[in-house]
Formats: sequence, structure tokens, C-alpha cells
Amino acid sequence: MKKFIALLLCALLALTAASAFAESIADICAAGEALTHDELVEKALAEEGTFIVYGNTSRIVTAAENFGALYGIAFEGSNLKDAEIYTKLSAEIEGKAKGADMVMIQDGASLQSMALDTGYLVNFVPASVKANIAEGDQNPLIHQFINKVFIWNNKGENVPAITNVWQLTEPQFKGNILFKTPDAEQVNMNFLVMLTNEEWSGKLAEAYKNLYGKEIELGEFENAGYKWIAEFLANCSFGNSDTTLAEELSQETAAGKAGLFVLSKLRSSSVYTENLTVGQYVAAEVGTIIEPFSGFMYPMYALVSSNASRPYTAMLFIEYLMTADGFKPWGKSIGAYSTNTEIAPLDNDLPLSDWKASLVMEDPEYILDNYEDVYSFVTMYLQ
Amino acid sequence: MQNPFSAKQRAKLRAFFSKPANVILVVFCVLLCMLTLYPLIVLFLETITVHAGKEARAVKLTAGDFTLYSLERIFATAKNQYSKLTFYEPLFNTLAVAVTASLISIVFGGSVAWLITRTNLKFKKFISTVFVFPYIMPAWTLATWWQTFFKNVNAGAGTSNGIMAAVFGVNMPEWFVYGFFPISMVLGLHYAPFAYILIGGILRNMDANLEEAATILKTSRVRILWRITLPIVRPALLSTFLLVFASSMSAYSVPVFLGSPVRYYVLSTKMMSLINNYPGQGYIIAGVMIIFGVAILALNQYVTGSRKSYTTVTGKAAQISLINLRKANLPIAIGLTVLLVLVAVVPLLTFALESVIIKAGDYSLSNMTLDFWIGRNLTYLDQGDSTGILLSAKVIKALGFSLLLALTCSFFAGTCGVLVGYGVVKRRGSKLATIVNNLSFFPYLMPSLAFGAIYLALSTRVPFLHGFTVLALVGSVKYLPFASRSGINAMLQLSGEIEEAAVIVGVPWPKRMLRILFPIQKSSFLSGYLLPMVSCMRELSLFVLLVPTSNTLLTTMLMQYSEKGWAQFGNAINLLIIIVVLLVNGIVNKLTGASIDKGVGG
Repeated sequence: MKKFIALLLCALLALTAASAFAESIADICAAGEALTHDELVEKALAEEGTFIVYGNTSRIVTAAENFGALYGIAFEGSNLKDAEIYTKLSAEIEGKAKGADMVMIQDGASLQSMALDTGYLVNFVPASVKANIAEGDQNPLIHQFINKVFIWNNKGENVPAITNVWQLTEPQFKGNILFKTPDAEQVNMNFLVMLTNEEWSGKLAEAYKNLYGKEIELGEFENAGYKWIAEFLANCSFGNSDTTLAEELSQETAAGKAGLFVLSKLRSSSVYTENLTVGQYVAAEVGTIIEPFSGFMYPMYALVSSNASRPYTAMLFIEYLMTADGFKPWGKSIGAYSTNTEIAPLDNDLPLSDWKASLVMEDPEYILDNYEDVYSFVTMYLQ
Repeated sequence: MQNPFSAKQRAKLRAFFSKPANVILVVFCVLLCMLTLYPLIVLFLETITVHAGKEARAVKLTAGDFTLYSLERIFATAKNQYSKLTFYEPLFNTLAVAVTASLISIVFGGSVAWLITRTNLKFKKFISTVFVFPYIMPAWTLATWWQTFFKNVNAGAGTSNGIMAAVFGVNMPEWFVYGFFPISMVLGLHYAPFAYILIGGILRNMDANLEEAATILKTSRVRILWRITLPIVRPALLSTFLLVFASSMSAYSVPVFLGSPVRYYVLSTKMMSLINNYPGQGYIIAGVMIIFGVAILALNQYVTGSRKSYTTVTGKAAQISLINLRKANLPIAIGLTVLLVLVAVVPLLTFALESVIIKAGDYSLSNMTLDFWIGRNLTYLDQGDSTGILLSAKVIKALGFSLLLALTCSFFAGTCGVLVGYGVVKRRGSKLATIVNNLSFFPYLMPSLAFGAIYLALSTRVPFLHGFTVLALVGSVKYLPFASRSGINAMLQLSGEIEEAAVIVGVPWPKRMLRILFPIQKSSFLSGYLLPMVSCMRELSLFVLLVPTSNTLLTTMLMQYSEKGWAQFGNAINLLIIIVVLLVNGIVNKLTGASIDKGVGG
């Protein structure tokens, strides 16, 4: 019996020692930031098994295909909804099952509370491109920005000319603004939450004054942000997909209507692009602005799963994504902006810096602190 | 260790367990408790637990802690009218839709059942065949068809015209295109075959003597219908009402398509939008839906408790004399045929058409392509997929997975249904049989979405419950009611002597089942396999929360495509699902004589 207990103790000791010495993915990634490209390739190719990628952009699958072909790595790329990704991550990591190596995902607030606070995802900035990425975009690493902007139909006699967002709250737009229901996509809700902060509600109050020549009367609303949200949503017609909204808005029959959706949807073959006018493009052309914003912008993050079985491949893939080649699946059309400053915007699009100056950006901490309030406020205007 | 049972008790136990029926009942009693009651407890716990993410941030507690936050939010939050808008109004809408859909399906299905069984209506064969189509097809089929047919620039987002507006120049008002009315109509039409099957079954077997006697006494036709026919089918009417009510309540895809454009929410759509950010609140809504399900079960039990006295009306009925519709015959027959073509055949043609055009609304030949079906390297379309669905490895894999899942669920549900049928009928009247009978019907009344939600909660606690396992398990349990109903009905029709004769000769139980009982009632039992199979192929709500990825099943893939706005691929996949389901149904029907209308439907 004594022997048995002694043996058991030894085994336990060995186990704890082993787990203490086993490197966590976070450590591996931290150390990986010092590796050169060649070192990463060498370590990645030494890993075994299928490389698994989850992403909530459909083009991640194409990027994974190109990457797999380049290095001869067997991969599996899945385009999932953000909520699905979190559900799967938590099941895989809590259940210690094999799962994602690398994840590309939007919605900074959920990322923070569901995956960073919990340690499910780990940050990694490749040494080879670090110098080309703004510091603010490095932790968590942002791969690209996506914008949703005001776009309107340019057919018929009643073509909207929007220079101030308060115009969208006027009676003529009742039912004439197409917007994906914020219930169905978190980044839309995040945008609305951001409008209630001091900066944006202040700018909205100012824009109101500039348009109507008088101070804004808030009535029951806490600030100008809430007032704009209420009146904007009351004018919206909600859809379930930005692609469909783009298609619908581009129909000749949609004259007089406007929309707020992903700019890159204009790439779809089923959209009559010639029937659509992008607000910010017009403003940039004549040197004006849409007051105080022409839409919103959100980051798409690229991170390593803390459960990765091929961590070095995940790091190599992230490095690849940050290069011009890796960005190609997105970079070939408008509406996607790499955080790598070496990658120039398309000729027919505006540079990231211009967009950043004219769009509402996300602040995950503010969103998390105020989400419940704005969510229930927004619910009132979704009915 | 001392044996806790005395010799006498042991003998009693041994005698009890020597009968296969008892063993079956005990096993299923335990199994069904584990699979339906235990998950309910887990669901309850989830409603009072803090979940990671926004919920944890809002209550400022860590995940796993106890909280009444979700309950308070859902039931008693006045700020921003939160509870009213998130719970009470959707609840009211849900009830309104469910009641209206039930009435529509009873009136429509019941009238057609009466016309087919009791009159000399023309085109009976066509009408009765096509009438069950809407039920075999996924519910959203009709919903999307309604939208494409009636949408116009004056309704909802109103950016483009559907067929009605474009071709006939008629702009239907918004209430007709979106919201309460179309949701109720579509659900009512979808579940009308229910009413047709249940009410038709009784009408077909009903003794016509009563009606004939009344006719001889010169009672008017209306009075006969009102005073004789209706009372006889009343239990079937009520059963239909409750079953359609329960099914409509949990419908998810129909209100998504036809409700959200005009901000019309029901419990199922609210639950789906809550479950990601505030899971606790989502689970509470699931719980409320289940409470309704249980109430319906109790009500159904109460209503049909006296059914025996009605079913004896069947039996050796004399030939039913068919009512001559005279001049009304042709108009009714043609009207019905047109209507059925509209709701059962036209949608298929619409999907086929929509799956070959590139830009929506342009039906010229130059805008058509078969690329969405058989194309390769379709990067020019930029619609997510680069190969047509028939060549896409992703789609083929999902089709295979869907079929495998349907077969698995059908095998387990069907087999369990036969066993439950045997056990319950053999021990009819015993407490155990009643319990198992009710437990085996209970999953039917659990709204699919809520049932899925429960198993989602469960899968985070039970390690092996994910991927195929959880899908197969949830499907088998959910569809058990179809199979157990078929099994019980089949066994009820069998006289006890048949098995007794075999017992006397010493034929062991497995052989009695496989060689005697099963072959005699083959087609009834097989219907118990067919229904789960068909339902599983076209199921969305039950699996949507549990699939590893949207690409796992054809139906979830279709839902994702429709959310992404990849309409053509979506339409093509939809058509593929319908064709597969019709094929499966047709083949099984031809080979074995089993058919949908022998089961309860669902």
C-alpha cells in the first residue's frame, strides 16, 4: 500500500512538473513575435495535422486556400457567424477537443468579453510586419477595417443628397432607409452604442445646429446620440443581409431610397452598381463632408486560438494575411482596408486615414459598459 | 451485503421482468426521463446562471454565479419598456399567430378532408396527393414564395416588385405581404395536411348510418353537417388545433422571413436574437414555450381522454354514400386544383427560376446561367461559393450528412416507436404504460427551437454531446412521438391472440416481434420510420443551435446563404432539399406502402 501511495505521489509530481513546463500557447506566441519569417516557416512545416481556420468573412476560405497551396499545408477553412465562432471556441477549449488554430473575427466588444477576458484567443504580431502596423492596431491585432457607409439610389427625380445625418431622420425618409437589423449583426449595434458617448453625441448636437440653425431640443432623450438613433431607426426598413440590401437598393424601383451597409457589397455581381451613389465618395470629390459621419468602421481581428494544435502555422498564416499577397482576396475590391501601411488602397477607393476621419469607430470598453442600456433603448425602435 | 428484497419480492420482481413489455416500459421510462426531464432541469439552472460575455458585464459577476438578473430583465423591467417589448408583446403575437394558423388549417384541411371523403368531387387523386406537399416541404418554402410573389414597392423595405406587382400590376398592402397575416396564413397552409389527415381519417371510417337516417328524416344538409358530422369529428378538430398550435408556436423560419421586415416579433425570433448576447434570457423564453407545450399536452389528454367512445364509431361501417356536389363540383374542384398548384407546385418553379438568374428582377435570357448549379470557378459572381451546388464538395458533404442524420434518427426513433407501441399496448391501463405513453409524446410539444436550446445547454455539461452525436440524439428524441404514435396505433389493431399463439408454441420474443408482429403491420410501422426521416431532412429550428457549423446540414447551410444574401445558391439548395424529401417519400411509399398520412404528422 505504501509503495502504491509513493508511486501515486511520484506520478502526481511528474504530472504537475510536466504541466508547469509545458508551454502555453500564449507563451509560444509571445516568443514567436521574435521569430523571423524563415524561422516561422521552418517551425510551421514541422507541425502535423490539419490546420483549422474559423472566420466570419467568407473570403477567409480563399485566403486559407492560397496559403495552403503556397506552403503545402493541409487546411480546413470555415466561414462562420461570430456567435457560432464563440460557441465553438468555448466548446472546444473547455472540452479540450481539437478545434480552431486561428480565428478571424469582427465585433471588438464581444471579442474582449468572450475571448480575450477568458483567454480563448491569444494575440500575435509578426515581427516582419510589425513596423508597418500602427501601435493602436496591434493589440489585439487588427487585420483590416471594414466600413458600412451611407449609399443611396441615384435614379428618378427624387435623388437624395445627404450632407448631414439629421436629414435621414426627416419624414421624407420614412421607411426609405435600408439597414440590417442591429439584432442580427453586433457591429451595427456597436455603432449605435458608440453614438451615445460624449464625443459623438456632442458632434451630433453640433451637426443638428448646423443643419437647422437652432439648438437641439432633447426632450425625453439623454443626449443627441439617443435622439438620432431613435429617429433614424424609426425611418429604417430592416433587412437580414447586407448583400440583399445592396441588391435591393440598386434596383431602379428603389428610387428615392438610401441605405447604410457594407461598402464592399458593391462588388457582388447581382448589384446594379451604376444605380448607386456612395455618400463619402461624393463628399470627397467636392471637398465637403457628411456631418458628422458618413457611416461607421469596424476592425476584423486575427488571433491564435489558445487551443491551437498548430500554433506556428497559425502565426505564419497571420503573417501571410498581413502581407499584400495574403490580403488579395479582400484587396481586389473596394471596402476593405489593410492595417499594413505598405498596402495601398485601390485607386477607386479612399485611403484608410480618410475613412477613419469620417466614420464612427468602435471602442470595445465603452460598448461593453453601455451595451445593456443602448440595447434596450434600441429594442424600443425595432418594434 | 444483505439483499434488500425479501424472497417474495424477488419472485415478484422476477415475474415482472420476465415479460418483455415490462422491461421495455421500465427502460423507456428511465431513458425518456433522462432525455426529457433532466434537460429541463438543466434549462432551469441556465436561467439563473451568469454567462460569460455581456451578461457577466451587466451583472458585474463572474460566469457561473447565481443570479436573478435574466428573470428580472425578461419579466419585470419597465425601463425602455424592455419586458413588454422583449417578452409580453412577442408572447401575444405568438399566441395570435398560433391560434389563427390553427383555425386556418382546420377550416382548410377539414373542408378538403370532407370533400375528399364524403363527396363525389372530381380530381380527387390529384388533390389528395398534392395536398400533403406543403407539409412535406420545409415551412420556409411557402414563406419565401409568399414574399417573392407578393412583395412590392409599397410594402416593407419595398425596393422591388414581386410577380404579383410586376406581372399583374397589383400592389398588395403591407399587412398582406408582411407580419401577422402572412405568417398565420403560411403556417396554416403548411399544417393544413395535419387537419386533413386527422379529420379525414375519422370521416373516412365514420358510420354513415347516422347521416343517412337524418337524410331520410328530411333533415337539411347544413343541419346534418352541424349536428351530426361536426360533433363526430370534434375530438379530431381539437387535437388538430392543439397540435398545429404547438407547432406554429415554435416556428422560426416563417416569422423570420415574413415578420422581421416590418418589425413583427414572436417568441422564437426574440429567443434567437437574445441567445447570443444574453443566453439566460433566451433560455427563459425557451422555458415559457415549453410550459405552453406541457399545458397543451395536458389539455389534449383531457380532451381525447374520452376518445375511445368515438373511435368505436368506426369498424364495420356500411358503404358511405357520397354527397353529390352537382353543379358546384367542377368549380370547387378547379378552384382547389388551382390553389394547390399555387401553393405546392408554383413555389418549386419559382425556386428553379430564381436559381438561374444573375441580377434579381431581370428575367431575360441574357441574365440567366446554370452556373449556380453546375458552374466552376465562379469568382466573378463573388457569392461565397466558387462552384455550382451539384459540383460543390461542401454541398455534397452536407447532403450526405443530412441523409445520414435523417437515416440515423429515423432508425432510432422508428425502432423505439415500435418497442414503445408494443410495451404500451401490452400493458394498457397500467400506470407505467400511461407514463411512458405521455413521456414518449412529450417531445412533440417541446418547441423545436427550445428543445435545441436545452440540448445546447446540456452539451456544455456533458462531454461527449457534440457534433453528430447530439444532432442524432436530439432528432431521435424529438421525432419519437411520430414513431410511437404509429407503433401504438399499429399494435392496437393487432389482436392479442396472434402473439399468444406464438407464446404457447414457445417462440422467443425477438422472433415474435420480427417474424410475426412486424410483418403483419409492416406499413404502419414503416410509417413510423418514414415520418422522422422526412421531418429530419427538412428540419431547421431543432438543429440550428446545435450544428458544429452552418455548413453541416443542407438546411442550416440554406439559412446561412439566405442570411448572407446568396439568393441563387440558396434557391438551388432549397430545391435540392425538396426534391430529396419528395424522392425519399415517394420511394418509401412505392416500396412499402408506408405513407405520411398514416402518422400523426408534425
